[in-house]
Amino acid sequence: MNLPLRPAELGQIQRWMQVVIMHPLGVEAGIDATESRMLMDVDTDQVEGVICRSASQSSIERLNVYANAYFARLREVLESEFPALVHTLGEELFQEFAFGYLQQYPSRSYTLGELSVKFPEYLVNTRPPREAVDDQPDWADFLADLARLERAYSEIFDGPGVEGQALLNADDLRAITLERWPGVRLTPVPCLRLMTFRFAVHEYASSVRRQENPDLPAPSPTWLVVTRRDYVVRRVAVSETEYCALATLVSGGTIADALETAQDRWQGGFDALAIEVQRWFRDWSAAGYFQRAVEADTMTTNEGVGTAARITVDF
Amino acid sequence: MPPPRLGLPHLGLGVGLRGAHFPYLLQHRPAVDWFEVISENFMDSRGRPRYVLDQLAEQYPIVLHGVSLSIGSTDPVNIDYLRRLKALADEVGAVWVSDHVCWTGVAGINAHDLLPIPLNEASLRHVVERIRVVQDLLERPLILENPSTYVTFAASTMTEWEFLTQMTEETGCGLLLDVNNVYVSSVNHGFDPAAYIRSVPHDRIVQFHLAGHTDRGTHLIDTHDNHVIDPVWEMYRLAHQLTGGASTLLEWDANIPEFPVVHAEVLKARQYMTREVLQFPPHAREGTWQDFDKGASVPQPATHMVAEAE
Repeated sequence: MNLPLRPAELGQIQRWMQVVIMHPLGVEAGIDATESRMLMDVDTDQVEGVICRSASQSSIERLNVYANAYFARLREVLESEFPALVHTLGEELFQEFAFGYLQQYPSRSYTLGELSVKFPEYLVNTRPPREAVDDQPDWADFLADLARLERAYSEIFDGPGVEGQALLNADDLRAITLERWPGVRLTPVPCLRLMTFRFAVHEYASSVRRQENPDLPAPSPTWLVVTRRDYVVRRVAVSETEYCALATLVSGGTIADALETAQDRWQGGFDALAIEVQRWFRDWSAAGYFQRAVEADTMTTNEGVGTAARITVDF
Repeated sequence: MPPPRLGLPHLGLGVGLRGAHFPYLLQHRPAVDWFEVISENFMDSRGRPRYVLDQLAEQYPIVLHGVSLSIGSTDPVNIDYLRRLKALADEVGAVWVSDHVCWTGVAGINAHDLLPIPLNEASLRHVVERIRVVQDLLERPLILENPSTYVTFAASTMTEWEFLTQMTEETGCGLLLDVNNVYVSSVNHGFDPAAYIRSVPHDRIVQFHLAGHTDRGTHLIDTHDNHVIDPVWEMYRLAHQLTGGASTLLEWDANIPEFPVVHAEVLKARQYMTREVLQFPPHAREGTWQDFDKGASVPQPATHMVAEAE
């Protein structure tokens, strides 16, 4: 059947072809789908009126080249972005997840860099019902955590960074006077990300990237600082107390606020906390978590702040 | 008569910049004439990809090659995309900006594929109008490439070379003649690739592409995953003769070997810049490698940068 298109129908054939080659059940199902039949009322026997056959391929076989390529290409992108997730799921199961995700969230961006933005969310929303009665994290939680970490790696890797810029160092911290110390706020680098997980997914992901064969880890609450330095994504696991203090600073709190947060969670004595805080600031400045120290306009003394804020940096 | 190559320079023999080669390039700074980069991989990058590009742009001519312009789509032109593209072109001093005669999606969706358009007057009008808009926004001529295609439309009323000729005449745009794509499409659709190359407007050809492909038995797929085959080199020889030569670039996007192998491949082009008597063997599966890797026969473009993490 010959079905030449009228000139005005370029958009119509594009929408039809897109429905056909992206249909989850294949090209023939796509041609017969209600959506495509509304755009172009041809069945599989009539499709040669739209897509010519070649000497060696039918019209449907030719459309299949595009249909196969669509899923294969985007699946490859997801596999390259989530190597640890592929490792734990196995290629076949990962492909099922990828296939489902691409159905629900087809790309709407000019860049493949945004293809997987909602993949971690998709895994959470499609997870099976929790079997454990004790609310212990299960394998689905591990998958969701791992996906969130690997997506963060992509975003941090190609997002804004501070390579080549001066960062807050130990000398800058030492230069802050005792009176001003509590009221100081620290400006985090734009690539700094604080993340919590139910498993030590960072160790698992690194092990896979080293081409090892890690076992599934047991649940282990994990507080992770992820950043980028010299264009490589870096991650450090920290204690919950250090994480909360850091989170206070990153969210705009003063050093006094951060240290009060730490003291509230600290199980030991004040002297031990003071030593720990010294280490934090040494590590944070060495790792380049902050760009600069900003002194609050309205707080130039330590009057009114808690005892923890009187811990100063001396290293 | 426009000047050859629209007055754009002949850059020599270049290589497509790929992430796998970043460390080698930064360390060795090889004597490559120029690099072509996938625009979308760098337009929003504020990490290592953009850093590497900025480093290389200080030493080598850079050309931007896009895969998401979607000049043939019936969706509205993406102005934000064009602004970002222009900004990148300005920042790296791109010698020119290219993309493909295709559409990549419609209704807001991007299939990330180079999908073919029916070759008829209506499509031509549509594409011409959009090229003008794009060229106005980019403030430079657009260079458009013939894609490899795997279907033809009953609604087509003209050959691809007729379409490209009228398109360039009406818009002043340039052509990126992908010789491998001509060959792949010629086998898939049963036309004479030499006739195609003889018929396109030679004075509009700014650049050539070369690449490897995969023979699937019933059709060829433009996989960019191996060496350029001899029949494609012969097409290149013809194209070189007819145009007097133009910037030539090798694309290698899957099963990517070490950089020197890729560079050596494009340097083979020198052997075909001759006026020897041309003989075009018909497409024969004997004598060419085939089914190189059935698991990797994904048509290009597949253009994703992988994060480097501890």
